[in-house]
Amino acid sequence: MRAETNDLRYADVNEDIVKSILETGPKYYVTLAIAGGITLLCFFFPWFYQLYFGIGAAGMNHPGVWGTYLASFIFWIGLSHSGTLLSCVLHLTNSSWRKAMYRSAEAMTLFSLMVAATMVMVHVGRPWFIHWALPYPNQMEMWPNFRSPLLFDVMAITTYLTGSSIFIYMGSIPDFAAVRDRTTGWRNHMYSLLSLGWRGTDMEWHRLHWAYTFLAVLIIPLAVSVHSIVSWDFAMSIVPALHQTIFAPYFVVGAIYSGTAGIVTVMFVLRKYMNFEQYITKVHFDNLGKLLLVLSLIWTYINAIELFTGWYSGTSTEHEALNYKLFGYYALLYWEMILFCAVAPLLCISSRFRTSFVPMLILSIAINIGMYTERFLIVGTSLSRQYLPDAWGLYVPSLVEISIMVGSLALFVTLFLVFVKIFPSVSMYEVKETMDVPGTKPTAQPEGSSA
Amino acid sequence: MTNFAVGLFHEPQSALAAAGSLKSAGFATPELMSPIPLEGVEEVLGEKKSVIKRFTFFGAVIGGLSGFLLAAGTAVLYLHPTGGRPIITIPPYLIITYELTILFGIVFTVLGFFISARLPAFRDRVYVPETAVDKFAVSVGCDNEEHFKRAETILNEAGAEQVREVAEED
Repeated sequence: MRAETNDLRYADVNEDIVKSILETGPKYYVTLAIAGGITLLCFFFPWFYQLYFGIGAAGMNHPGVWGTYLASFIFWIGLSHSGTLLSCVLHLTNSSWRKAMYRSAEAMTLFSLMVAATMVMVHVGRPWFIHWALPYPNQMEMWPNFRSPLLFDVMAITTYLTGSSIFIYMGSIPDFAAVRDRTTGWRNHMYSLLSLGWRGTDMEWHRLHWAYTFLAVLIIPLAVSVHSIVSWDFAMSIVPALHQTIFAPYFVVGAIYSGTAGIVTVMFVLRKYMNFEQYITKVHFDNLGKLLLVLSLIWTYINAIELFTGWYSGTSTEHEALNYKLFGYYALLYWEMILFCAVAPLLCISSRFRTSFVPMLILSIAINIGMYTERFLIVGTSLSRQYLPDAWGLYVPSLVEISIMVGSLALFVTLFLVFVKIFPSVSMYEVKETMDVPGTKPTAQPEGSSA
Repeated sequence: MTNFAVGLFHEPQSALAAAGSLKSAGFATPELMSPIPLEGVEEVLGEKKSVIKRFTFFGAVIGGLSGFLLAAGTAVLYLHPTGGRPIITIPPYLIITYELTILFGIVFTVLGFFISARLPAFRDRVYVPETAVDKFAVSVGCDNEEHFKRAETILNEAGAEQVREVAEED
């Protein structure tokens, strides 16, 4: 990154990032209005419709009692995985290429988790009873069943949402102070509150470094546990093709994979539309491309193992589930997933591909379409083919479900658009750390060496 | 009311040198303000220790205990026998214990950070806005005018671009 930021001075960094918050063009408002409109039209209206007419408005019925709502839930939880997790790992390994992109990646985590939590509320049908999942003394003298993976989920997601929110906030405190100094009126009040009186003293930096490092250490195992627990929602059932020990690593790898692809998409958009060309460079895309390649290979391996263990089990139910997945009603989706998630990412072997922005964007979107399909197949095909043939059936999402699925994406985009106008999307002080300190001789480094 | 001499520097090395000189001259430990965390501060101003790790550790321990007690305690309060298995079932309760260990560890780490970094600040303190951009500042408390003059001389000798007198309410 340094090679492309060599011309930048510390003051330029403040100028560029603060400008991205304070100067808002009509394009932004139009995009926000469209995203907000789609959210209202495709997410909230159908949800209210479902609340009014009942959960029958969704296409879920026996045996397909889990549908796109849960597929979306797993997808959004998965997408949340790379942001904070990757940021923590790269922070602990002192990787400087993380510094320009981690803030937005962490925001992606935060908003994906929020959307995922909302999808649970949509799925349960009667969200006004959602508090029954929380442990609090009540007049019924009932307590949640902590032996259920669903309760593991509640605890894990609450912890991850809390941890991710705190992690992004802590890292932003010095930048809030920098924005505070450049603003007036209500913005100044808001950033004064958010920066808590930060002055950038040696003592404050020392404390922030240690607190941030401890948080990173705590969040890494937490992130791994969250998607393992999500996988147990399925793996702890005795449904053929779901009752597998490989599900936890399978979900964790899939989550990091789709999350990394999500970061590529977000980086492309920020680079192009927030004018961060000098901060988000080819080096970032190159490194993310390498990561995608490794993750795609691990993901492919786990998929192959899943097929192998199903076949090797020798049981008719597993064989039927396998056969149905590869050649049944949803087979086209399965092969689309293989094309997008196992074959297409092999293009990342080429460094020319990895450093090309538009092809990387297309690949990242394709991977996430493939990963959504994976989640749909896990939920859809497994329940369609259980033990007794007379209980077999198809699940096809209703218009309400499809609309809410699309609307959830718009909800995420809306939240992200609000974020870029409140939070500095690129960490000012950490980008400065990758630059030459004033008064020292510039270090000539080849492009990419800072990674 | 305490008066501070605040020297503004363009280069971090000069600021560090000024802080070292002030300390050697018998002033109270000076404070460095910078746009980025500086390397070599501890060599000049001495090793810094914080209580954050203790907060993290005890937070995690309290969280772990709370997690297990929550799961086991609620199971005892609302008996739900399943297939003859024990009411207090260790493997699933370890997951709740694990999650709350991390949750409390995180929350207590933040608490430790706020306490040890003395944030949020409820009163105005010496601050130089330029240090959030590209300048480095050294501030030191001065009891009287003579003290201030001495500090000013040391800061100027170290290469300060500017020396300001700033008052801070006690």
